[in-house]
Amino acid sequence: MKVLKKTLMLAAIGGSLFATAASAEQVNLTWQMWTGSDADTKSWQHLADMVTAKYPDIKVTLTTTGWVDYWTRLPVLAASGQLADIVSMQSLRMPNFYSLLEPLNDRIAADKFDVGAFTPSIIGGMSVDKQLYGLPYDVGPWVIYYNQDALEAAGVPLPKPGWTLAEFTDAAKKLTKDGKYGFGITPQNYSVLASAWGDKYVNDSGVLDLTNPSAIAAAETVIGFAAKDKIAPLVPSGADVGNVVQGRFYSGNVAMYVDGPWSIIGMKDKVKFKVGSTTLPRGEGELTAVTAGSGFGIATTSQNKDAAWKAIQVLTSPEALAFLAEGGRALPARTASQSSWYKVAAKDITNGGEAIDYSLTHSVPYVITNNWAAVENLFNQYFPPAFAGSADAKQTMDAIQSLAQQ
Amino acid sequence: MRQLSPWQELPLMEEDMSQSAVAELPLQPVQSRRFLKPETQTAMLFLLPSFLGFMIFMALPILASLGLSFTNWQLISTPSFVGFQNYIKLFTVDPAFYTILRNTLFFAVEYLALNIAVSLTLAVWISSLKRGKAIFRVIFFLPTFTPTIAASVVWLLIFTPDGLADAVIRALGLGLPNFLLNPTWAMQAIILVTLWANVGYNVVMFNAALDLVPKHYLEAATIDGANAWQQFWRIRLPLISPTVFFATVMTAITSLQVFDEIFAMTRGGPGSATATLGFAIYQKGFTNFQMGYASALAWVMFVMIMALTILQFHMQRKWVHYDD
Repeated sequence: MKVLKKTLMLAAIGGSLFATAASAEQVNLTWQMWTGSDADTKSWQHLADMVTAKYPDIKVTLTTTGWVDYWTRLPVLAASGQLADIVSMQSLRMPNFYSLLEPLNDRIAADKFDVGAFTPSIIGGMSVDKQLYGLPYDVGPWVIYYNQDALEAAGVPLPKPGWTLAEFTDAAKKLTKDGKYGFGITPQNYSVLASAWGDKYVNDSGVLDLTNPSAIAAAETVIGFAAKDKIAPLVPSGADVGNVVQGRFYSGNVAMYVDGPWSIIGMKDKVKFKVGSTTLPRGEGELTAVTAGSGFGIATTSQNKDAAWKAIQVLTSPEALAFLAEGGRALPARTASQSSWYKVAAKDITNGGEAIDYSLTHSVPYVITNNWAAVENLFNQYFPPAFAGSADAKQTMDAIQSLAQQ
Repeated sequence: MRQLSPWQELPLMEEDMSQSAVAELPLQPVQSRRFLKPETQTAMLFLLPSFLGFMIFMALPILASLGLSFTNWQLISTPSFVGFQNYIKLFTVDPAFYTILRNTLFFAVEYLALNIAVSLTLAVWISSLKRGKAIFRVIFFLPTFTPTIAASVVWLLIFTPDGLADAVIRALGLGLPNFLLNPTWAMQAIILVTLWANVGYNVVMFNAALDLVPKHYLEAATIDGANAWQQFWRIRLPLISPTVFFATVMTAITSLQVFDEIFAMTRGGPGSATATLGFAIYQKGFTNFQMGYASALAWVMFVMIMALTILQFHMQRKWVHYDD
C-alpha cells in the first residue's frame, strides 16, 4: 500500500513538473490588427491559427479595432506600455510609428530571409532609413476605376494602362454632362497624382517642399480639374471625403475615381454597372505609380521577440498570403502570390489585372514626411476652397507649407 | 416705529425660546465628541465613489495636462521639459493660433446670442399655447438625444456641394454660395447645426421657469393695462433671470468647447475658417502627436472659459433678480 502511495505521489509530482515545463515553453503572443467586418476578423484569426499550426508552442491572441480607431489607439497603447507583441502597420504610417517597432535587418540577415520575394516598393514603404521595420502582407498601387457603361455610352475608348494626362482629361470632359462628372477627386489624391506625373513635393533631403515649381504645377493641374476644367465635383473639407467620392462613383454620379486594389472586394456588390480599371494618367515621362501596403512588425516592448519574428514570417508566408488573396482580401505583397488575387478579386474588373501589373512594374515608394498625417489634414482643409475657385495653387501650397512646419 | 414683517420676528422668537430652554433643561452627561455625525459619515460614504471618480478621471488628468503643457511630449516618446516654450510658440510663432482664437470667440458670441434668443422665443411661444405644450417641448428637445457626431454627418450630406441645401438655396433664388466651401459661410453652417442640436435644452429649461411665474403678477399687470411685451420684459424676464443666467453660463462654456460638429462637418476647413480651440486640441494632440502643445492649447481654453465665467458672474448683478 505504502509503495503504491509513494508511486502515485511521485507520478503526481512528475506530472506536475512536466506540465510546468510544458507551459513554460508555451509562448503567448498578442497581435493588434484593424478590421472592417466579421469576415475580415475571421481571416485574421485564421492567420493567427496558422502560426500555432506551424509552431504548436506559440499561441497568437488577436485583438481588432476599426481602421480609424486603430491609429488613435496605437499611440495611446504605446504611451501606456500596452502594445501587443505583433503590431500591424500601414506603410504610410510607418514614418510616424517606426520607433515602436523592432528593426528587422539583423534577423533577416541571420535567417537569410528572402526579402527579394516581395514587391520592392512595399519593402521600401515598410522601411525607414534602409532599415526594415515590418514584413508586408499586401501592396497596392493607386489606379483609376471607371464606369465602363458610362464610357461606352459617351463613346470614350476604354483606357489602356499607361495613358496620358491629356487622354485622361479628354475622356473626363466627354463624360461630364447631364449633371454627372467625369472624375471624382479628393484633396488627398494630390500627392498620389503628383508622384504619378513625376512632380516632387518632398525634396531630396526628405523635407516637405510644396512651394517648388514642380509641386505647384501638380497642384495647378489637380485644382484645375474642378476649378478650371469643371470635370470634377466640388468636395467639402469634412470627414471621409474619400467615402463621399467613392459613394458618388458607386451611384454613377462620377465616371472615374482614384482608389487602390483594397477597395475591389466591396465594389462589385455595390455598383449596377460594369467596372473597369486602368493606371493613373502619366505626365510627360513614364508613369511612376506610388504604392501603399501594410504588414506586421515586432513591438520594441515585446518580451517574446524571437517568437514574434517566427510568427510574422508565418503571417506573411506564401500560404497565408494565398489564403488572403483567394478571399479577395489583399493583393499579396509577395510577387509570386499575386496571380491568385488576379484570378479571384480582379476577374470581373475589366483590365483590372493589367492595370495593377503595369502600375507595379512602374511603381516607386511613396515619398512622405514624418508628419504626413498633419500634411494630409492640411490638404483636406485647403484644397476645397481652391477647387471652388477662391484660391489659386500657389496660395494653397504656401498656406499648407507654412502650417505644416509648425 | 419700524414695522417688522412676520419673517423678521421669527429669529427673535427662536432665540428667546432657545435661551429659556437652556436655562430650564437639566445638565446632560458629557458625551464623547465624534469626528463626524453618523448622517455625515453616510453621506460621505455615498459620495466616495463619485469623489474617487472625479479625482482619478478629472482632477489628475487636468493636473497632468498642466504638467504636459511644459513638455514636448509626442505621445510615443519620452517627454522632456521645455518650460514656457509651447506657450511662447502659441502666442508668437504659430500663424494659425490667432485665427483659431478669433474663430472660437466668433462662434461663442454668435452661438450664445442666437441660442438664448431662439430658445427664449420658443419657450415663450410654447408657454403661450393652450394645447400641445408637451408635444412641442418633446419636438425641440429630441435633437439633444441624438449623438452630435451622427447628426453632423447627416448635416454634412445636406450641406455637401450639390446637396439638399444647395438645391433649396437654388429653388428659393437666394444666390448663396455652398456653405461648406465658402470661408465666410462655413461657420454659419456649424452654428446652425449646433443650434439645431442643442437649443432644445434651454427651451425646456426656460419653459419650466416661465410656467413657475406666479399668475397673479401677470393678472395684476393685465388689469393695469400692460401689454404682452411689457408683461414679458417687466415681469416674466426678471423673474426667470436666474434661469437665463444659468443657461447663459452653461451655453457659453459649451460653445467655447465646440468640437463634434467641426470634426464631422469641416475638419477645420475650408482653409482654417472653422478651426476652433476644441478642434485644434484634437488635431495637434491626436493627429500631429504634439501632446505638449495640445495641452498648452487646452489651458488657454481653460483660462478663456474661466475668464468669461467670472465676467458673467460679475455682470449678473446688473440684470439677474433673485427673489430673496
